[in-house]
Amino acid sequence: MDRERLSQEMANIVGKENVLSSETDLLLYGYDASLFRAKPDCIVLPGSTEEVSKVVRFAHENGIHVVGRGSGTNLSGGTIPAQGGIVIHFSRMNRILEIDLENQRVVVEPGIFTLTLKNALARYGYVYQPDPASEKVSTLGGNFGENSGGPHCLKYGVTTNHMLGAEVVLYDGSVIQVGGKSLDNPGYDLTGILVGSEGTLGIATKLVLRIMPKPEAVKTMLAIYNSLEDAGKTVSAIIADGIIPATLEMIDKLTIKAVEESVHAGFPLDAEAVLLIELDGLKDGMERLAERIMEICRKNNVREVKAAKTEAERMQLWAGRKGAFGAVARLRPNYLVCDGTVPRTKLPEVLTRVMEVGKKYGLAIANVFHAGDGNLHPLILFDERNEEELRKVHLAGSEILKICSDAGGTISGEHGIGTEKKKEMLFVFSPRDITAMGKVKKAFDPDDVYNPGKVLPEQP
Amino acid sequence: MPKGDKISSKFKEIIGESHIVKDSEKLQAYAVDGKKPKIVVSPGKIEEVSKIVAYANQEQLSIIPRGNGTKLGMGGIPKKVDIVLSTLRLKKVTDNDCENLTLSVQSGMPLKEVQKMLAKEGRGYFLPLDPPFTDKATLGGIVASNSSGPKRLLYGTARDLIIGTKAVFPNGDIVVSGGKTVKNVSGYDMCKLLIGSYGTLGILCEITFKLLPLPEKEATLLIPFARLEEADGFVRELIGSQLIPTSVETLNPTTVKKMKYSISTSNGYYLVAIGLEGVREGVDRQVSDMGEIGKKHGALKAEVLDTEKQNAFWTALRDFSKGLAKSAPGSISLKSNFLISKRGEMLASFEKMTKESGMDCAILSHSGNGILHAHLLPGRSLRSKSDSLVELIRKLTAEAVKNEGNLVVESAPVAIKKKVDVWGQSRDDYRVVRRLKEQIDPAGILNPGRFLGGI
Repeated sequence: MDRERLSQEMANIVGKENVLSSETDLLLYGYDASLFRAKPDCIVLPGSTEEVSKVVRFAHENGIHVVGRGSGTNLSGGTIPAQGGIVIHFSRMNRILEIDLENQRVVVEPGIFTLTLKNALARYGYVYQPDPASEKVSTLGGNFGENSGGPHCLKYGVTTNHMLGAEVVLYDGSVIQVGGKSLDNPGYDLTGILVGSEGTLGIATKLVLRIMPKPEAVKTMLAIYNSLEDAGKTVSAIIADGIIPATLEMIDKLTIKAVEESVHAGFPLDAEAVLLIELDGLKDGMERLAERIMEICRKNNVREVKAAKTEAERMQLWAGRKGAFGAVARLRPNYLVCDGTVPRTKLPEVLTRVMEVGKKYGLAIANVFHAGDGNLHPLILFDERNEEELRKVHLAGSEILKICSDAGGTISGEHGIGTEKKKEMLFVFSPRDITAMGKVKKAFDPDDVYNPGKVLPEQP
Repeated sequence: MPKGDKISSKFKEIIGESHIVKDSEKLQAYAVDGKKPKIVVSPGKIEEVSKIVAYANQEQLSIIPRGNGTKLGMGGIPKKVDIVLSTLRLKKVTDNDCENLTLSVQSGMPLKEVQKMLAKEGRGYFLPLDPPFTDKATLGGIVASNSSGPKRLLYGTARDLIIGTKAVFPNGDIVVSGGKTVKNVSGYDMCKLLIGSYGTLGILCEITFKLLPLPEKEATLLIPFARLEEADGFVRELIGSQLIPTSVETLNPTTVKKMKYSISTSNGYYLVAIGLEGVREGVDRQVSDMGEIGKKHGALKAEVLDTEKQNAFWTALRDFSKGLAKSAPGSISLKSNFLISKRGEMLASFEKMTKESGMDCAILSHSGNGILHAHLLPGRSLRSKSDSLVELIRKLTAEAVKNEGNLVVESAPVAIKKKVDVWGQSRDDYRVVRRLKEQIDPAGILNPGRFLGGI
């Protein structure tokens, strides 16, 4: 169908002012936070489930693909309209529908920013735990599609552990409810399979989330190291000692430099690595637990370990961590962020090997990651205008994922497979495993309406 | 369909004669809802499971997976029972990585043995699941039926604790999902589909769990209340507070009376049982705070149990239905979910409705989760009460649905199972459930008829 007619049809459903189709629009909605580009045919901004349903029904009847999109912070090309079609942008569906404190649930529309919800809950003394670094702009619909993580997921689990239900528009425009405010609904756990399916199985138009009372106390510590390996060993040792802090984040020298130039979090510039360790929960016994952690740091040659004394100091440390990706972007024009994840016991060894890959290809690598989860984020810095460098970056990225999977790990901890890592799926899964996933896709979306060409590698 | 002889000689080839049961009398013990299998097979390796399933698929023979058989009464009446596949020989620990707080283990292993082993590792670990059938439940059965216990309040259920599975799908493929890392978004989260699927999509053979270190201290607090409203007010305040109990269970007087643990001072009372785990200081403070909150809501006193008594108490609570099976045969077990805040109202209406039907009812509620287990006790005159039981189950289901939940009949005499939908009121997502089943098990060989919608 030609673009003009498609826009007209869409305008009939959502109103002319909610359809974007200029050349500039098509360019703007053709990329996300990954290195990929494509071109949609039309962008639609629906205002209700009914409108989403009508858009999808029309698309299905006319053989047009549909890709859902929040803020486009996706790091693996998940929101790229790889085969054209309609992009449904959820910026207008961004309301909190219900804050139900008694039942410890909230119901939201998918376009709401993660942090907007968290701020609204803070007023009542409640929290929604997952905290992706991009939470200022990332949407909960996007978090649902990607099963997003974040620092606090170490203790509290990732998005899937907090998503209890959804209203979902299926491939043909029909609408179903999966899960709900109550737990243990009979039937297959459809919410569980939809979360992290990267928009390939259905589009959520309402989400039911678990919230909990804010922890009574919190203590944040900064541990400073002269060696990256010692920092890695500390992480393994804390977990092996049976301590699960709320967060256990690592930031290396190159990242520290970038962060200090932009955010001024107070990380020492001459350190090789710092750990950001936070405890939360009851105030009772927290001091003793903090002392046990500091003792483990000292045993692993920490240079200095100190606790944030005020809430302002704590916020500053976190600003450094959360602003890290943005800060690193100041060092070189582009970066590729890898998302390999390994068993925590393998962390020191894998870190060393990752840095060797950088040396081998002559590429600078900055590290800032969820160490307590074994979830690495090596950021490979480059300039995409240099084709030779770009080629090396892709090789190095793939090699790092191979190192992670060979260490018993996996190729993505929280950023998704998208377009970027389809080939690498075969590092961790056999063709049989992929075939089984393909059946799930078939059951939900037999006509391949949603986000085609993502997640599953083409089968031979 | 091939003859019995042909089937058994094929399976003999795969696993050897000693791991096959085909003697008619012995097979009786493996009957499901009165339907006796043609053969029972006990494979010792995942590859053997794969071959058995592939053959069954080709010959359209149905398979009922089985661990220690504690949940075979659950679900609808099977359409067809050809092969019972026992997982009991699959009990290897394939990767013990306590330092990474993960464990991979085969599905035929009883949970109890895992816990015993983990407690002895290094500084001591545990798998934070505490479902019923403490002595017998196998990991595969627990996960396939998404079975859980009081500790789910703090630690969640199988869906929060499992990071990887290896399962044999109906075409015989050995399918790996997830992995050994605590975070993983590589591909679809197939583990979630298998958890609670009652063996209708695949046979779970190996499972990777997240572990936790054994807590420094545990304590149990028993707080009796004369009135349900008081107990509920207490729980409401507790759940909304910053305190972090591991479990909060409410027992009605009938449960207190029938439980295999004597709480002499609580006769006729509603009992709120609280489990606490964690660092010493935190547990001590919570014991004292909760005692105070209890008083405020009208509790006469609180009893703190020591280590030995705690174990006995929680075991009796978990295994309540097992104890009941002996003392009150013919009882019907129901599980209902609903909005957390409706815990008190649900308990009250379940009590009222069963009483109106002339029956007694033992209720245990996971009060912080919005889930209750009700055991209807029709006594000896089950046959004469059959119709009123069916009517009662309908009424209870409607009550749960009103509170955004549902009701599942977990065990009942076949005569009752024939007259109710054991899976409760159907939902609009069942058509996707059905399509998933058709895609993954087109011949319908795995547990046919036992899952919802007749799947």
